[in-house]
Amino acid sequence: MGLVRTSKRKQRQLTRPIGHYTLGAWLLLALTILIPLLYGIYISLLDINLASFLPPQFIGLKNYTTVLQASETWATLRITIALMALGMTIQIPCGILLALALHQQLRGTKIFRSILITPMLLTPVAVGLTYRFMFDTDLGIINWFLGKFGIESINWLGSQTSGLMAIVIVDSWQSIPFVMLLVLAALSAISTSLFEAATVDGASSRQIFRLITIPLITPTLLVIVMIKIMDFLKLFDTIFMLTRGGPGNATTTIGLWTYKTGFVFLELSRAAALGVMILIITMPVYFLWRKSTRNVR
Amino acid sequence: MLLGKRFRVLPIIVALALVLAGCSKGSSEKASGEINIFLIPSPSSTSIQSFIPEFEKQTGIKVNFSETPYGEAHQKQLLSYQQKAGAYDIAQFDNSFLAPFCQAKAMLPLDSYLKDSKDYAIDDFLQAQQDYGKCKGETLGLTLSTEPMIQWYRTDIYEKLGLTPAKTWDEYYNNAKKIQASGSGGQIMGFGPNVSWWWMTLVWSFGGKLYDDNLNPTVNSKEAIAATDYLKKLIAVSPKGAITANGDDVTSRFLGEDIGAMLNYSGYYGMALDEKINKNKGKIGTAPMPVGAADITHLAGWNIGIPSDAKNPTAAWKFLEFVLGKTNAKAYLQSGAAAIGRQSIINDAELVATNPYLPQLNISPSSRVERYPQIAVWPEFETAAIDAVSQVLTGKQKTQAALDALNEKLKSILAKEPRG
Repeated sequence: MGLVRTSKRKQRQLTRPIGHYTLGAWLLLALTILIPLLYGIYISLLDINLASFLPPQFIGLKNYTTVLQASETWATLRITIALMALGMTIQIPCGILLALALHQQLRGTKIFRSILITPMLLTPVAVGLTYRFMFDTDLGIINWFLGKFGIESINWLGSQTSGLMAIVIVDSWQSIPFVMLLVLAALSAISTSLFEAATVDGASSRQIFRLITIPLITPTLLVIVMIKIMDFLKLFDTIFMLTRGGPGNATTTIGLWTYKTGFVFLELSRAAALGVMILIITMPVYFLWRKSTRNVR
Repeated sequence: MLLGKRFRVLPIIVALALVLAGCSKGSSEKASGEINIFLIPSPSSTSIQSFIPEFEKQTGIKVNFSETPYGEAHQKQLLSYQQKAGAYDIAQFDNSFLAPFCQAKAMLPLDSYLKDSKDYAIDDFLQAQQDYGKCKGETLGLTLSTEPMIQWYRTDIYEKLGLTPAKTWDEYYNNAKKIQASGSGGQIMGFGPNVSWWWMTLVWSFGGKLYDDNLNPTVNSKEAIAATDYLKKLIAVSPKGAITANGDDVTSRFLGEDIGAMLNYSGYYGMALDEKINKNKGKIGTAPMPVGAADITHLAGWNIGIPSDAKNPTAAWKFLEFVLGKTNAKAYLQSGAAAIGRQSIINDAELVATNPYLPQLNISPSSRVERYPQIAVWPEFETAAIDAVSQVLTGKQKTQAALDALNEKLKSILAKEPRG
């Protein structure tokens, strides 16, 4: 009994300094994340409009029912999901293919890798603005280039389908290097002896890829999928610069709609309710992400 | 004993504190000779800034200013006025925010200043322009720029094809069609994120209204449908990229490319004076907007006023009078600002020679002036309208169906507008 007590005391002594060291970080997190989050939930229950100088009233869940009944909420959510699906269908396979190519350690790999990660280093606002000019129907370089092959100029930002395509192209240009880097790290962690043994056993390169490479990089791919889902839910800057959510609301995502509700319509409480809704949508994704990262470890 | 010594020191500390307080009071009195101006980046803002050194020299009043981009300017002002922070003595704002500012009693009525001011000379403005910054009969903002929607045309193209500026909408379309057939761009308007500017102008001009006196939406009236169909018809005689163009894009393209006509606010004329943008110098003509079923003038432009919580409204008025008064009106325009529609400016031959659009600011008394809808829910109304009109323009929906759906949506938006 005495021994147990002593070891508990020792344990407490050992853990105490760690708690002290991390206290500052926890306080900072509480200050910058927890308090704003709780405040956001609180104001979502009020009726704050920036243009109204009346004292805010408690209206319970009315903002949530308004948001859920609004056709724009569902339309923008559908657009977000469409972008997510389209984006990941392009970005993940391309990222894997590039990682596989770089993993071969061919000549010039290092330079090629440095060039490939450049888009990741650029700010989405600058990228969006540059692409806006590139996608211009009459003066853009993309239509000029297509014109060289006899392809009639496309009104890239003038319809929903082409507008969404343009957003996916720009986001993919920035995101594929990120996918590539993570997959490359996962590939580098696989022991070469596995590949050697499979080769000795007569496995074809396709079999090796399907039965060894893919299963071993699957946890990393899951992490990538989760991160990309969260990325698309909060995608804002690229769309804001490229299409402003237009034509009309045709390329407005749920994140951009939340911004418009709060900062254009000045409906702060309704925007907070939308924000809480996005948080609720993201929660399962977060837990899946946590689970998949545990598997990676 | 020790405590006693400390207590003896106390009167000295109190006296010192009083002296310091006196000093600080003195410095705050000195600070009353300071004003803080909230500006939004624009040619008007740049011109205002150019007057500051001379004003400071003449009056000894220190002028501080800050510029906030349009996208966040009004939100920042509303926050400041809600907190009664007294952060600004003068604030520039868009006329579309006059209604929320009015409802919140955020701006000081300027009528008593205007009545007493000889230099501002309010009589120098036509009635429609005197009313531009008014809400519920009170002047909450002075006119910082007078920008009616006007017709712009290329004099060389019109001359070559024997055309004259359109007087009706049919003529405007036919002119554009002829110009397009000759190989140039027929006309240009912004069918993109600012399409509401042109759409509401056409709705009014075709005899329609956006909502009635009881704030019931009327955007699916036969006039509004005809106006929307006409807008769609114009796409065929516009350059392809116009479908995504905003107000700035439209102007740059008209001034830089080979396009016959444009319908746009006169305030953009500053871009025409910039040779880097205007590749068609000397070939830009202006005319009044074509007339439809109703003779209307869509009047836009900046306002500037004194917030109700301003710390130094007297000095603020002095500054406004100095910059925007009759004495400096000419210098104000010559410093690059969009013109203010004073009669003395519009009819000044020397100014008209360099700014040939000035006569367009002479709004005919028979023309009904339409400002941006004076409702606090306008941003939400406008977003819904842009979405519906875009669906018509991109062929996603038929006009009647889109405007019926919009009308339904606007009912709930307008229901939020405070009455009375």
